[in-house]
Amino acid sequence: MKIALFTPCLVNQMMPEVAIATLSLLEKLGHQVIFPQGQTCCGQPMTNSGCFNEAKNTTLKLLNAFKGVECDAIVCPAASCLVAAKENFHEFDKSPEAQAVIDKLYELTEFLHDVAPVTQFNRPVPKKLSLQLSCHGIRMLDLAAPSEYMGPRYNKMEALLSRIDGVKICYPERLDECCGFGGTFSVDEGAVSAKMGKDKAQAHANTGADYVVGFDPSCLMHLDGTIRRRQLPIETRHLAQILNDAL
Amino acid sequence: MQKVIQTHAKAADIFCRDESRVDWHSKALWVLREKRDRAASSLPEWETLRALGSQIKLHTLRELPSYLEAFEAKCLSQGVQVHWAKDGAEHNRIVHEILSRHGVKKLVKSKSMLTEECHLNPFLEGKGIEVIDTDLGERIIQLNHQPPSHIVVPAIHMKKEEVGDLFHEKLGTPKGESDPTRLTRAARAHLREQFLSADAAMTGVNMAVASEGAVIVCTNEGNADMGANLPKLQLHSMGIDKIVPDLDSAAVLLRMLARNATGQPITTYSSLYRTPKPGGEMHVIIVDNGRSDMMRDKLLGEALKCIRCGGCLNTCPVYRRSGGYSYGHTIPGPIGIAVGADEDSTHSSPWACTLCGSCSFVCPTKVPLDKIIFHRRRLYAERKSLPYGKSGYMPLVGRFMASPLLLDTGMAAARVALKILPHSLLKPMSGAWGKYRELPAAPGSSFEGWVKKNRPELLVKSKGEK
Repeated sequence: MKIALFTPCLVNQMMPEVAIATLSLLEKLGHQVIFPQGQTCCGQPMTNSGCFNEAKNTTLKLLNAFKGVECDAIVCPAASCLVAAKENFHEFDKSPEAQAVIDKLYELTEFLHDVAPVTQFNRPVPKKLSLQLSCHGIRMLDLAAPSEYMGPRYNKMEALLSRIDGVKICYPERLDECCGFGGTFSVDEGAVSAKMGKDKAQAHANTGADYVVGFDPSCLMHLDGTIRRRQLPIETRHLAQILNDAL
Repeated sequence: MQKVIQTHAKAADIFCRDESRVDWHSKALWVLREKRDRAASSLPEWETLRALGSQIKLHTLRELPSYLEAFEAKCLSQGVQVHWAKDGAEHNRIVHEILSRHGVKKLVKSKSMLTEECHLNPFLEGKGIEVIDTDLGERIIQLNHQPPSHIVVPAIHMKKEEVGDLFHEKLGTPKGESDPTRLTRAARAHLREQFLSADAAMTGVNMAVASEGAVIVCTNEGNADMGANLPKLQLHSMGIDKIVPDLDSAAVLLRMLARNATGQPITTYSSLYRTPKPGGEMHVIIVDNGRSDMMRDKLLGEALKCIRCGGCLNTCPVYRRSGGYSYGHTIPGPIGIAVGADEDSTHSSPWACTLCGSCSFVCPTKVPLDKIIFHRRRLYAERKSLPYGKSGYMPLVGRFMASPLLLDTGMAAARVALKILPHSLLKPMSGAWGKYRELPAAPGSSFEGWVKKNRPELLVKSKGEK
């Protein structure tokens, strides 16, 4: 498939290794990847603060970067940004061109699980992984059944990772409790955010895993800052990096 | 008790200073969440019940006037007196009028968040009527001169040793006694005296059944029934949102209420009252107090589907780590923000949330709590009353993010700063982030910079870009 890479500002500016891993793994899977220029923030920091007027120009700038770009799918390695982009694009632009962009938006896990399923990996990854089930991915994008939900169980990240030889999967206690990042919450509500991050990082470390693995770079960045502050014996990795290592 | 006005973040910051207490509080409530999970998963039809519960409440709220009228007519035909109150003040006036007509000196009350909302206790006490809350938790906090910190377990913030000290002072239990069973027995003996000497009883209402003209009252201690059955005069206060069409719909909600609150199959006492006792009087006071206004906003109105199980408080990671008193209004936690944010004069409570969405999935009637909280923030922005300086800095963030040039150069500078400057110098500038976490390690360039250098053939320019 022809895939346009959507790299949210945080990934583009602060975690390019996640975007490089995403590009690399999509190419290894035989997809043609392009990178539309002019991408910026999805507007989530503003809309999550209630400031829709302040978000409009930013969001439309990002939408414009994808309008008219020829591709089969637009893939993003950041669940929360993807959800926000989808909702904000729709909020600020109801044109058919905007809808065409929205219809092609996929989060990376979702894309590799539902749209162009990856069934085989070539290289073993002999690591123990503690999975970070970030809120927006599981509760808004259906990447996994949240623990509150009593219907059928599913977990797309686990399904992908469990196909890799050597991988051991585990979960922290209170497996899908929020890590406390919450965008500007981490600054506005510093004390509670820090306590949530500390509890989550400790729960991951308690599993004895090598890596915390997740699909949301912002939660991973928050956990990483906490893990290093507390010098916990675990590191963060984005799902794309593990999958890329296995291909 | 003097009320200190402070933002949620400030109150939470103070609460968080005693970390062992935060851990204890968080765990006590998480235990309820775990019990809820076990109880909910034992019913294969749980998700069907939730869908049904949501539909029942939505339907009733849409047809509210006709169900309320049917309820009133049925009540009247059964000899129950019905009163309508547009707000808390009118509610309190009606209650006082009924009580004074009967010369009531002592009122026993069973838990009602509505009477908390109307501030009934101080009102009646000001008129010389003694009010005794009779749920154990409610009585504890009443003796401690505090409002509830949780809607189902109102004294959850107090440790058993603290209750022991309080009971020693107020009820004369032995000093240092902290055994829950012995403390409960002391409370029971004390409350028994109150029941026997009360002139009237008042309860909240969990549901009001339109077809029966009946009110349903759920307790685990039987105290509502003890109260309602002893004196001749009984009063029941209910919000207009408590109405359900019939017993079948009440049954659907009753199956979920206790399971979602504490993991019990049903509350120990789930009683229906629909006629006065011989020679007695039964009054129902139906209160609006802002509910009709809320219903004018379609999304806010969905908060009225709530059946007050408290499940959203138990699951909320922010509530568990900040305590009920940090929210600045009667009802704390996600549902408190949904229904009570306007009471919070600091406007900060809608930001006491990471929008994780756990509350919406736990909710037995599918109140879209995270969407409502998100919506509340937008309403504040539109009214230009944002907390935490957001109205000042958000336009700047907006301009920064909307300009690829500013964003690129700004972030490039930040990366350089993170690389070459000592983090001890940067941390004070990074506010709460650096106070609690290490700053991110900075990459050499942005991804876009990397692509331009290493894979320029990938770059495409959109036709939409201006």
